[in-house]
Amino acid sequence: MSNKLKKISTSFQQWLLLIVGIAFIVTLVFLGQYQTKLFTDSANNLLNIYIKDVRHDIMDVTDKNLLILTRAVATEVNNADKITSELLTGMLEKYNVTEINYFSSTGVILASSNADFVGYTIGEGGVQTSEFWSLLGARTEYVQRFQPIGFDAQRSRKYAGVTLAAGGFIQVGYDEEAYYRAIEVAINEVVKNRHVGESGFLIVTDSAWRIISDRANNKNQPVTIVTAMTKDLTTIGKDEMFEEGIYIDGTLQRCFCMHNEIEGYKVIAVYPYSEAMVSRNVSLKVMTVMQILIFGLLFVMIFLLVRRLIVKNLHQVNHALSAITDGNLETVVNVRSHEEFDALSNDINATVDTLKRYIKEAEERIDAELAFAKSIQHAALPSVFPPYPERKEFEIFATMHTAKEVGGDFYDFYFVDDENLAFLMADVSGKGIPAAMFMMTAKTFIKSFAESGLSVEQVFTHANAKLCEGNDAGMFVTAWLGILNTKTGQVQFANAGHNPPLVRHADGTYEYLKSRAGFVLAGMEGVRYRKNELTLAPGDAIYLYTDGVTEATNLNEELYGEERLQKILEQHKDATPETICAEVKKDVDKFVGEAPQFDDITMLAIRYEGTEN
Amino acid sequence: MEIEKALNGTELTLKIIGRLDTVTAPELEACLKESLDGVANLVMDFAALDYISSAGLRVILQAQKTMNKQGDMLIKNVNETINEVFEMTGFVDILNIE
Repeated sequence: MSNKLKKISTSFQQWLLLIVGIAFIVTLVFLGQYQTKLFTDSANNLLNIYIKDVRHDIMDVTDKNLLILTRAVATEVNNADKITSELLTGMLEKYNVTEINYFSSTGVILASSNADFVGYTIGEGGVQTSEFWSLLGARTEYVQRFQPIGFDAQRSRKYAGVTLAAGGFIQVGYDEEAYYRAIEVAINEVVKNRHVGESGFLIVTDSAWRIISDRANNKNQPVTIVTAMTKDLTTIGKDEMFEEGIYIDGTLQRCFCMHNEIEGYKVIAVYPYSEAMVSRNVSLKVMTVMQILIFGLLFVMIFLLVRRLIVKNLHQVNHALSAITDGNLETVVNVRSHEEFDALSNDINATVDTLKRYIKEAEERIDAELAFAKSIQHAALPSVFPPYPERKEFEIFATMHTAKEVGGDFYDFYFVDDENLAFLMADVSGKGIPAAMFMMTAKTFIKSFAESGLSVEQVFTHANAKLCEGNDAGMFVTAWLGILNTKTGQVQFANAGHNPPLVRHADGTYEYLKSRAGFVLAGMEGVRYRKNELTLAPGDAIYLYTDGVTEATNLNEELYGEERLQKILEQHKDATPETICAEVKKDVDKFVGEAPQFDDITMLAIRYEGTEN
Repeated sequence: MEIEKALNGTELTLKIIGRLDTVTAPELEACLKESLDGVANLVMDFAALDYISSAGLRVILQAQKTMNKQGDMLIKNVNETINEVFEMTGFVDILNIE
């Protein structure tokens, strides 16, 4: 049965494994998402930094370029005799710019390459021109961002201004087409020498998303075709990271992208997803290993702890229970490590105490019943001595010393007629109440047949037949029956498997009467018994006993035996039956010593005195 | 007491070792009760039997009765002490002793 049932530790192990497993997966998923977010943020930062760098560089390049041009124009104007619109218009082509204005020290355009602007005052057209107020104060040079012009919000232009020696300043503006050409080389440098991470890159396009510079010289091609970008970039906010499949070295790769613009350029940064997540994957791997270690350790520790606390204690309880089951009711369960085990121990101990009490009560009841049975058994045997004070032809004495258990020994004697005395020694197989009850039956049958005047062998033959009826328990009786003719001293006897009696001869010696015995009574139907005879002379005696005498055992497991019995009888060859019984009992007790008595010790002695006295 | 059982077809051999008394007889009785089904020849080997009490005799008698109905029972290697008991109790008349 124990093979089919699971051990607690196994069940616990399985559940613990499941819980730890779930905890492990949940933690791993959480960490995975957290790490992904972390590295996405970091990709975002990276793209931002690159975009910012590129914008900064482009700004630098354009600012420098326009400032150089403007300084050159200013130098030429300073050297001119008179500043006229014609002079300024004439310089447009030379410097490849779109617009040149001359502002007076009061901020009014006095001359311009565009005749419409003459007379215009700073700030009139809005924010764009008002930034140039600074040149009328402390500053000598100023470069403005590429932005919609104050005059016409639909057009964008980049302006720079340099103050003139004679006061006022020169303002030079150009369109994107103009400076695209001028700073192409510089822009190429900005992009080509940069890559985002290992394989990410930057693209600069014009305002119509046509490539100006990228890694592979796809100049003038639409950025969407080159990169396979499907999203409409105009709908995506500046500096806002988005994911897109991008062609990198001929393969489409998932990438993080970002765009922004500066000075009419569009800047696009691309960073492959796989590269952004390389570090994430590494940290995830490290964390997974760490987690396996931590959860593994946790699992082992909890498992060991539970085994220590519960399984070990349960084993202790079981061990004690096994001892109790095996019959050792003195076993005390003493597992006190925890409240639950303490309660369990107390309960088991209380149960065992109750059990012990019941057993003790039952034992006491059984003992009382056995004692009662014993007294009934004793009462059935003749116990008044001398039984026939008026009879001088013989003297008879018998004793039965019962062992603790009720046994099946019995003796009996009675006159079957005026001069014939029947005397009997018998032993029922086994012990206890069944033996005692069988003994009563056997005694009754034998007595009734003997009293009906049958001879000894017929008494046994009939008693055997009766006792065999319904003897399902297979009990049997060994018996020795003698009938003494008190006038002649003649004894007729039959033996049904009983121990041979001892007979005293005239010379004072005792001899075992080893006649061939018949089969035990109640053993088998149809058994026939033989009659034997012997004659007692006055002073002769017959001593009957059960195996309780010859098989009395001492502490060395030695049997009292027939020899010792014969010897003690011969030592008391002239004793009365009463003395004989007492002396034999004394000798047996001496031999047995401290060893417990297992069997009834029953004996009967009869001495023939003759008819003379 | 120890009982060594050997079943060979329908022949069962029981070797009884030690003492067959009030305490141990029920053990042999139980052993016989569960083993005798279908046994035609029961052999009891008493070579190592030290002692037999009336309770032991009762079990032997029961076995003999059972075997009378279904076959034969043979007792062999009976030592002198045990044989004396068999003679004294008349068991020699009803047992088949080799």
